[in-house]
Amino acid sequence: MNMRPYSPGTVKPPRWAEKLLTWWGHPDTLEEVQGDLLELHDYWVQTVGEKEANRRYGISVLRLLRPFAKPIQSHEYPQPEYRTTFILSPDMLRNYLTIAWRTLAHNKVYTFINVIGLSIGLAAAMLIMLYTKDEVSYDQFHANNPNIYRITTRNITPEGKQESVGGNTGYFQGPKFSEGVPEIQSFVRIRNHRYDIKQGTEVTSQQVLFTDPNFFAVFSFPLLSGNPQTALLQPKSVVISDEMAKKQFGTTDVLGKIIQFKDSYAENSQFEPYTVTGVAQKSPQNSSIKFDVLVPLVVSKEDMENKTNWFNIFLNTFVLLEPKADISRVASKMNQIYLADAKETIKEMATKYGFKSKVEYALQPFTDMHLNKELPADNGLVDSSNPVYSYILSGIALFILVIACINFVNLTVARSLKRAKEIGIRKVVGGGRTQLTLQFLGESFLLCFCAFAFGLILVQLVLPTFNQLSNKALALSYLFDANLVAGYIALFFVTGLLAGFYPALVLSSFNPVQTLYSRFRLSGRNYLQKSLVVLQFAIASFLIIGTLTIHAQFDYLTTKSLGYDDTHVISVEKSGLKHSEAKLFREELLKNPTIVSVALKNGGQWGTIAKINGETQQNFTYETVDPTYLSLFRIPVVKGRNFSADLPTDSTQSVLVNETFVKESGWKNPLGQVVDFWYNPNEKYRVVGVVKDHHFESLNQKIGPQLFTMKPGNSYGKAFIKIKPGSETASLNYIEKTFKKLFPINPYAYTFLDEDNRSKYEAEAKWKQIMLFGAILTIFISCIGLFGLATLSAERRTKEIGIRKVMGASVSSLVQLLSSDFLRLVGFSFLLAFPAAWYAIRAWLENYPYRIDISIWTFVSAAILSILIALLTVSFQSIKAALGNPITSLRSE
Amino acid sequence: MKRAFLGEFEEVVLLTVAVLDEEAYGVTITQELEQKIGRAVGFSTVHTTLQRLEEKGYLSSRMGGATAERGGRRKRFFMVTATGRKALHEVKLVRDELWRALPPQTLQLMGS
Repeated sequence: MNMRPYSPGTVKPPRWAEKLLTWWGHPDTLEEVQGDLLELHDYWVQTVGEKEANRRYGISVLRLLRPFAKPIQSHEYPQPEYRTTFILSPDMLRNYLTIAWRTLAHNKVYTFINVIGLSIGLAAAMLIMLYTKDEVSYDQFHANNPNIYRITTRNITPEGKQESVGGNTGYFQGPKFSEGVPEIQSFVRIRNHRYDIKQGTEVTSQQVLFTDPNFFAVFSFPLLSGNPQTALLQPKSVVISDEMAKKQFGTTDVLGKIIQFKDSYAENSQFEPYTVTGVAQKSPQNSSIKFDVLVPLVVSKEDMENKTNWFNIFLNTFVLLEPKADISRVASKMNQIYLADAKETIKEMATKYGFKSKVEYALQPFTDMHLNKELPADNGLVDSSNPVYSYILSGIALFILVIACINFVNLTVARSLKRAKEIGIRKVVGGGRTQLTLQFLGESFLLCFCAFAFGLILVQLVLPTFNQLSNKALALSYLFDANLVAGYIALFFVTGLLAGFYPALVLSSFNPVQTLYSRFRLSGRNYLQKSLVVLQFAIASFLIIGTLTIHAQFDYLTTKSLGYDDTHVISVEKSGLKHSEAKLFREELLKNPTIVSVALKNGGQWGTIAKINGETQQNFTYETVDPTYLSLFRIPVVKGRNFSADLPTDSTQSVLVNETFVKESGWKNPLGQVVDFWYNPNEKYRVVGVVKDHHFESLNQKIGPQLFTMKPGNSYGKAFIKIKPGSETASLNYIEKTFKKLFPINPYAYTFLDEDNRSKYEAEAKWKQIMLFGAILTIFISCIGLFGLATLSAERRTKEIGIRKVMGASVSSLVQLLSSDFLRLVGFSFLLAFPAAWYAIRAWLENYPYRIDISIWTFVSAAILSILIALLTVSFQSIKAALGNPITSLRSE
Repeated sequence: MKRAFLGEFEEVVLLTVAVLDEEAYGVTITQELEQKIGRAVGFSTVHTTLQRLEEKGYLSSRMGGATAERGGRRKRFFMVTATGRKALHEVKLVRDELWRALPPQTLQLMGS
């Protein structure tokens, strides 16, 4: 082997091979292999020439590629560089858990505050989600959705303005439209009615729904027994709910049995046997159609031929459309049919009754009905709701949750000083920021998880109360719904992130050198913490103001004088009470000395129209009364006179009107004016007296024009019986006996009028309670948060307080020092809360025609209340700190 | 104890490491083999064999001795372990026994 003259390193091996080796050589032996090959390459160049050397080098590299090799961690091949531990290695996880557990256990107060606050917040949010889910799920269970629609109407004035909308229809719309529009597969009319029902010797009044035979084909109400296709075909058949069956027969196996029904309203109606042809399951809670008794709707031939029935509107008509039918085309076809069929009647209505508005028909999706304010579920359909309730409730829940999260953020950040050393050590031994962030986020999730579990228990506990408040029958079993579970999990994660993200960022950013030299202070002024406290108290005072206003308005509604005396008045209903019967009834009742007076009135609320001042048409409430009515209620007659029993012409020629009626008519001298019921022949009355305005409806309604008549043809429906105070039991006994003697086949029921009047404000009463709960919860959570902060700040300042005391500071000055910071924040929160609250309550009060004025005192008392509560919370800690012995705080160092 | 198994090439490599003593690393071993056996030995083969021998425990290694011509990279020096030496002895014993067992006439035929 002859050596050529050569200087090492001048010829390089092929670059591709070198690269290849660096990428894919075995990582454990890469270093020496690269070196060896380089050396060998040199040697080969000298011995066998450059070309052969490159070839050998290439081949060796190719044969040494180990692209999938992983470095082995062993004492034989120690890694030269330091490698961090896998972030989620089991060892670290165990350590995180231990540390988390220790910090939580060590700071029991904070853990308690955080868990309680968060679980209340989460429970509130969960309840509201349950509520909202239920609201949204109304009527969704029908298999024919989304093809079920309700026929609705729009009244349009001759000028083209939309006057009103309505969800109700009459006998005609269903059958006539489905006959003429091929897209309508079938229709179902639902009419609300009452039947008297015989149960042994007892007679009770029962709501029934009249409906068409294909009710069960369109809607998905499962029958426990009976054939859904034929159950409602025969006129005298009835489908009842299982509850009704149990009540009536004690069993649900009742097919073919007989129930005695009698129309509650029709005169001279008798009990008739109906055959049970089906038993239905109890209607679901989230259904707008809830029925106990279902009877076929029978429309007489005359009714079907009487074209004015286009304008008699008193029931709900649902249609089932073909899938993918064009709604607007169906609606326009419906309107064509109406215009063609009712042509004559439309003219007649315009000339005879002056009804000039144009009626248009439209379709409303069945599932939209529940939350629709304009076209609500009414007339036999139930549970109509206002989406505003969902919004308010969600708002309150969100407030509570946010406040709880703020507590968490504030307390964690404020407490982080104590953990600064831990963070410093973790960083020094190589903990990265991601690792720390993950650790603290994990801790917040752990806490959130506990809160979540507690929250579920809380929901279970308060669900009955909540149901009562929200008028629902919700159950925790509702939770087993994919959407809801997903929602709850999302809620859990959002809360965990919301509460944990900021503290995790702050804590992980600490500088280890500073923390370990104990030079570390939380950066200066802490604006975030302060503004969060401000936000908390702003929300709390907002809710306090809301609660106070609702309370005041409710008090106003329930205690404001209605303009008549409703005390010690018992109201008894008897439909179709003729004037002769009424006379007898009154005479019988007055035989008992405890009964002071008896007055009669029509049942329900009548309204009609008449002409005044010649041609002007006036709408008004039409009250059929007797001469004692006004005196019984002590409603003064301001001009003219009351009806008199001694003047027989009063019942045929005279009417009384109220002050609003006079005002709307523009009468200077109301007495003697003529009211013309022009559509009835020879019905003209003269006004003989003006009645003082009184709230004959609830205070949620404005007093409208009212007209009193004694027209003999109008039957009474209600008797008002004034009794002596304290004689309730005796009087009620006597009234019942008399009623059953005179009207044995009518259901007897009584109410006390003042109670009745109060029950008109049930909605307000509920909102009052809900707001009260919301306000108490927010205040409670804000306060425990403030308590935590106050404790921390007192702890941090123990030395300062000690020195101040040694220098002669008094306890009161120290308490002032420690409390004033927080009180300033609470005071500042009013700046935010007051304008928002003012705006909100003004908007709410505008719903009421009779309302309280927004009083400055509401705000003042809310402010005083918030400050007092905050002061109590904070001063507890401040006083404790100020009373401490300075020796104990100063000795240690 | 189970008898150590050494392949022919493994045996040669192990012996070479022993021969080179303190100076045994990839390059020297390859060159030595080339010169002693007289045929071109692929570096990759030598490298894998060394790895295998180390896995089996016949060799141990340490890093050291970086030089400029290696681009500053260190060498991996190999040493024969006690097990390695024992294995070599056993192989030699087997050979010697076989040689001794050879009938004299055959031995003569082989011309030694």
